[in-house]
Amino acid sequence: MSDSNNSELMDLTFKSIIDALPCYIMIQDQDYKILFANQKLKSDFGDDIISLSCYSVLKGSHHQCNVCPVRKTFKDKKVHIIEETIHLSDGTVIEMIAYSAPLFDAVGNVRACIKLLVNVGTIKDTHRELVTLGQSIALLSHDIKNILEGLQGGAYVVEEGIKDADTELSGRGWDIVKKNITEITGITQNILYSAKERKPKMKIISPVEVARQTGQLFAEKASSMGIQLLLQLNPKVPRVSLDPTGISRMLGNLLWNSLQACHTNTEKSKHIVYVRVDYYDYNHFMYEVEDNAYGMDTQIRKNLFKEFFSSKGDSGTGLGLMVVERIIRNHQGKIEVLTKPGKGSLFRIIFRLDNKKLDLN
Amino acid sequence: MGNELLKIIIVDDNTDYLFTMKTFLSRNGFQVKTAPDGQTGIELIRKERPNLVMLDVMMETTFSGFEVCRQIRNDPDLKNTPIIGITGMEDELGLKFDKYDDAEYFSPDVFFDKPVDKDALLQKIKDLIL
Repeated sequence: MSDSNNSELMDLTFKSIIDALPCYIMIQDQDYKILFANQKLKSDFGDDIISLSCYSVLKGSHHQCNVCPVRKTFKDKKVHIIEETIHLSDGTVIEMIAYSAPLFDAVGNVRACIKLLVNVGTIKDTHRELVTLGQSIALLSHDIKNILEGLQGGAYVVEEGIKDADTELSGRGWDIVKKNITEITGITQNILYSAKERKPKMKIISPVEVARQTGQLFAEKASSMGIQLLLQLNPKVPRVSLDPTGISRMLGNLLWNSLQACHTNTEKSKHIVYVRVDYYDYNHFMYEVEDNAYGMDTQIRKNLFKEFFSSKGDSGTGLGLMVVERIIRNHQGKIEVLTKPGKGSLFRIIFRLDNKKLDLN
Repeated sequence: MGNELLKIIIVDDNTDYLFTMKTFLSRNGFQVKTAPDGQTGIELIRKERPNLVMLDVMMETTFSGFEVCRQIRNDPDLKNTPIIGITGMEDELGLKFDKYDDAEYFSPDVFFDKPVDKDALLQKIKDLIL
């Protein structure tokens, strides 16, 4: 094979390699014009990007980027690496690591720059999840410390009541112990529920019956906290396909949040929590959990379902609401929150009456 | 001056904690009053002039523990009142109280982490008051 044939073959081989790489590769001149683009870049941004400016193609911008590794490379003839975001034509924003390296001419001037961009979106998402996980472990740790304080304090009061034969004191201490047992049970169940993506186990059940059973579980707790718990259940709501464990967990978390809000709302002497099941419209039914506790301001309402956000200050992680949101999503339902500071809050969860097409098993 | 004359005010938005801690401190010879939020707390502290204040740092109420502490330290009649801060957040979230401006104005004398070691708390109260 002649030398020119070998050269052509090598060119083809290198081009194949460059086109096969799972990243964007381009060569730019000093005016940021694209002189060469690999196949992946052309596939995502079009074949006609040669001679267009890098920033117009990757950022949809008419202006040079404030921070540009290519500009730095032309200036100091060195490799530069930065994080940057690019915009696909469908509006997707991708986080990239951009490398810029000089291409020298025969006399050592930078003739052009080769720029390589690698998608690090998945890595960044994982990093963010790990940061969130770290924060949430910290918040959970704080929650558990509060519960331990409640159990120790409650047990102390029980003992003192027994010593003094003061049944009222012992009873008060025991109520505190029981309340904290409920708290730690709820946290544990929510942690287990959210530990991995759990597929709902759908069954044809009565939504009214699930609400009744969940309400009965909390009746004694509500009574011991001096809160009236009222169930308003429309028996005409038909049986539908739901995950009974998930729905019970969802209602339990919302109920417990309401009971706690009422319990700490010392400004009012009488608290009522409602649990309702009724038709929402012709095609949907709804669950409602309503209280007359603090209510929420706009800022709290906006952040309500952010992972581990809690409006409960010292006393909650928001894990419960995160689990609620996930269960609703799994059932392709919707949640509405109506709230007014000083008045109370209402959580309304809307599900389709006919979700037989919801095959999640 | 005997213990029974010493007055402690506890400010915390956890009403169960207020009850159990009040029970504990009362039975150890202190006169105890409680407040479930920062606003009520600072009003009670100004009225009662306690010998010591126990203060939850991270309350969800209008006045946080930081604000109560700051108001105490800024009040000429109250600024020398010993304050015990109760928290469960400092280590986990890396809160460093001295990063705040005028940290001297809202720095408790000592912090206790929940669950509170009651024996150590009693000893610290005695160290601060007696």
